[in-house]
This record gives sequence, structure tokens and C-alpha cells, in this order.
Amino acid sequence: MTEQVLDVERIDGDRSRPPSAKEIMAAVIAHDLRDGEWVEVGANLPVPRAGALLAHLTHGPNMTVMLAMTKAYLRDEPVLEEYEYITDVGAMRWAEAYYRHDQLLSAQRRRINGVFYCGGVQIDRFGNSNLIGVGPDYRRLTFRGPGPIGTTNATAQSGRWHLVTTSHNPRVLVERVDFISALGYGDGEPDHRRRVGLRNPGPTSIITPLCVFDFDPDTRGARLATVHANVTVDEVRAQTGFAFTLSPTLRETAGPSDVELEILRTRIDRKRSLA
Amino acid sequence: MTIPVTGSGSNTRRRRVVTERDATSTVEDGMTIAIGGFINSGHPMSIVRQLIRDGRRDLTVVGAASAGLEIDLLIATGVASKIVTPYVGAEGLVGIGPAFRRVAQAGEIELFELDEAHYYAGLRAAAQRVPFNPWRAGLGTSLVEVNPDLRVFEDPITGEPMIAVPAIEIDVCFLHVARADAFGNLQHNGTAYGDVAISAASAQTFASVEQIIPSEQIRAAPQLTTVDGATGVVRAQFGAHPFSAEGFYRPDEAHIRSYIAAADEWLRTGSRTRLDSYLERYVFGPADHIDYLETIGTRSLFGLYEY
Repeated sequence: MTEQVLDVERIDGDRSRPPSAKEIMAAVIAHDLRDGEWVEVGANLPVPRAGALLAHLTHGPNMTVMLAMTKAYLRDEPVLEEYEYITDVGAMRWAEAYYRHDQLLSAQRRRINGVFYCGGVQIDRFGNSNLIGVGPDYRRLTFRGPGPIGTTNATAQSGRWHLVTTSHNPRVLVERVDFISALGYGDGEPDHRRRVGLRNPGPTSIITPLCVFDFDPDTRGARLATVHANVTVDEVRAQTGFAFTLSPTLRETAGPSDVELEILRTRIDRKRSLA
Repeated sequence: MTIPVTGSGSNTRRRRVVTERDATSTVEDGMTIAIGGFINSGHPMSIVRQLIRDGRRDLTVVGAASAGLEIDLLIATGVASKIVTPYVGAEGLVGIGPAFRRVAQAGEIELFELDEAHYYAGLRAAAQRVPFNPWRAGLGTSLVEVNPDLRVFEDPITGEPMIAVPAIEIDVCFLHVARADAFGNLQHNGTAYGDVAISAASAQTFASVEQIIPSEQIRAAPQLTTVDGATGVVRAQFGAHPFSAEGFYRPDEAHIRSYIAAADEWLRTGSRTRLDSYLERYVFGPADHIDYLETIGTRSLFGLYEY
């Protein structure tokens, strides 16, 4: 009982705390998602998780939320506890269906209505992502990355997708990736994706702790669309390894509203992964 | 030992309960094997440790679509010479397997670079007994450059470019499953990950199980049977340790972290002292799975229950 009282006080005391960079990122993801869309919530990726759940709770009653390897409906749950592993059975308590992984990977049609978030060891100005590794020689990488996992496919099948990184620095945001595991706009030439044989669009944006880039429709190059509160364009430039232009509508990023912030802090992110 | 595929001639149904040693004795140097499960869950570890003790070499190891540190262990012990999996790691515990990183960066292992969709396309092709399955995703990426086995071809129906993902043919696969009867009918808890697809691509399937149950119990819920023809069933309670088994126990994080620390030292300094002492204590030292469990201790094991 005492613990519970203390917990409430801790949360109440927090409402005045301004949104963190990761909470802003989660709000950007949530604002972009529309009701009825299909979205994956993996483990160990707190920002896309929080963004997708925030959309589901605020305006997505008909979203298909794939939590771990289940289909889940979560709007009636007071608190969505985090879990550490995608295989945690604790995450399965809300399941309306189990997805066998091999069947999930055969069922690509649902991704037409899906939104995906792709990370990267490197991400370049044309929105290509690299999870293979860093170095000029594939056989002698200076850093071996985790591998493509499912990003090659998800970024080639999803109706819409974004690049997301929680590390905005010149080592991650590079002029040219060493390897492409997820194809963005290639080398920026018109119609690159269609020409190599893909049918879905390239990335919509790069979401970082400092800002959001979109892509110039004429050059396919990254363009600064919004900067988060208290971040300057010069700071973004200093931390970015590629050259970018400024959007004619450059403005401050719309972060979480008071209601969204409360939902994030009391129902979605109790362990403070976004703090 | 040889596991007979047909009956023994006695005109009675063959019971398929075998030991870890029986199961791994079907593997010869140079074969392709697969290990089921998913990242930190459901790997047949008592069998993996026996494979290592057997001293097998030059195996092509097909990991899960997202493999865990069981693959790292097979790399660290020199069993694997080629790896087929889109990921080797332990999520929040370690993003990338340390031994995997070490040999990949040194160019000391062959990697079959692929996405999880290619992985299942390859397994599907093997199950269908065709040379490849087509897949679109991957076009325009480095995967088709660094992995020459992913071939771009022109689809004869539409004229569009496609990737031919070659069949991933597996000689023997090893799974860890909740329960089975003595006749090779397996039932998973949870979603079963990619185990069913792995088994369908394999000539032989062996599963370690938490429980062997009477056939009557299988027949009471046949819709739960996920794999119906395992070649052999190995009784191994806590057989997935240090990883989780759905419905039974959680991952042993402290143990996994002790492996990671040992393998990480090899990655960063080249010294195998800590890694070798880990291997001696938990892999080479114990004579069998029961011996391993005694090394871990019942207090640790029973502390891993889910609820």
C-alpha cells in the first residue's frame, strides 16, 4: 500500500518535467500513425514501442498492434508493462492471436497497410540504412553489425516507413553507408527504387533525438523538417555527417501534448526508458 | 547410433525416446544442422553442449531467424564454419554475439548474409523440394553483392527482377519443445517461432522436451501438435537453460551475462582464458545434461520459474 502511494506521488511530481528527446520522438511516431494501420512493437526498441502504443491508446482503436509475436488489443489495459525479450510470455497475456514467425513472414500482404521503423549502424542522406557492418571490406569489417534481421524485407514491403535512431552523431548519420541492408532512395536518382524492382515508397523521414528530416521530393536528399524544442539548426549540423537542406516549412517539432505525456508516463513507460 | 526411419521389423510402433548422445551421433563433420528457438528462448542447449563435446567440425549451422548465443557458443568452440541466420545476439543483454563479431571481423567464418524473409524463403524451398523460392525484397541492396548465392533473375511471368533464394537444405535439426509423446509428436507452448519451418526443411528432426507425456494426452488435443514426425525425442528438463522455455522458466540472465563477459574478453583482447574456463565448467566438464544441471544448482534453476 505504501509503495503504491509513493508511486503516485512520483508520477504526479513528474508532470511538470518537460518532455525528453525520446518522448518527443515517440510523439512524432504516434502523430504520424493513423487508425487502422498495422504496426509492430518489438522488444528492446523503447521509442518505436512507445510511439506505436501511444497512437493505439490515443487515436488507434482499430490499429493492429503486433506485440512480440501476438496480435494485441491494449486500450482497456491501465498499464502496459514493458518486457525485455521478444520471447517473454508476459507480453502474450493480451494476445488475440499468436503469429508463428514463419507464417508471419509469408503474410506480406498485410504490410501494404503497415508502418515500419528501421534503425541502422549507419544511415545516409538518401535514407539508406546499414546493419551489416562498418569498413571497406566485407570480409574484414572493422565493426560487424547485427545483420539485416528483418529490415531488408520490411522496408521493401511496408506501405510507409521511417528511419529511427537514438544516436544522432556523424558516425551514424553518414554521407554514404558502407553497405545497404535497407534501401532508401539509393544514390538519389529519380525512380531508383522502382527501377531496381521495388514497389513501395522510400522512407518518409529520419527521426532522431534532435530533429526530424524528411526527403526533398526533387533530390531525394535529407531535408531538415523540424527541430525539437531547444535544439538549434547549428547543433543539428554539427552532429550530422551528411549535408542537408532546410525545409521551407522548417519549424519546431510537435512534441507530446499534456495528455499524451501523461499517458506515456503513467501507462506506457513506467520504467522510464524514455527519460 | 543409427536411428531407423522405418520400423524395427518387430511390427510394433517404435518408441523414439533417445539420449542427447544418440541425437548428436547422427551428425557428421561437414553436415548442415539447424538449431531452433528464438534469441533468448527455446534452444535445445543440452544437445548443443553435446555436439560441442562430440568435437564436430566444419558444420554449416542454420540458426533461428533471430538466433541467440547458442550460435555464438558453436562459433566459440570451432564447431561452426558457416553460419546461416539474419541475426546472432541477445537483445538487451548483448546486441551482437561477441564470438560472432570476433570471427566475422577477422574473416574467419563464412556468413550467408540474408534477411529473415529470405531465410524462410530458403527453408520453404527446401520443404517444397524445389531449388529456390523467389523474393522481391533485397533488390538494390548489398545483400545480393556480399552473398553471391542470392541471385537476381528475371521473372518469366512478369519480366520483373526477382531474387532467387536457394533452398536451405538441412541434414539434421534440433529443437526444444514443451512436450512430446514417445512417438515424436511435438507440442510447443506459445507461438513456436520458426521451429515448424526449420523442421520441414530438415531430413531429420530431434527435439529435447521439458515433458514426455502419454499419447492419450496428445490425442486429447491434437490441434496443438506442431511437428508430428520427429525422428527422436530427448527428455531434458531445463534443456533450454540458460535460455527460457515458454511456459516453464525465464532466461537465466546472470548465467548469460557470465558467458557474454567471457566471450567479450576474447573479442576485445584475444585472450581466451575466461572463455575457456567458462567452457570447461559448463560444456566440457559436465558428462551429461544432469551433470550440467547439478553444476548450475537446483536453487538457481528453480528460481527461474515465470511466476
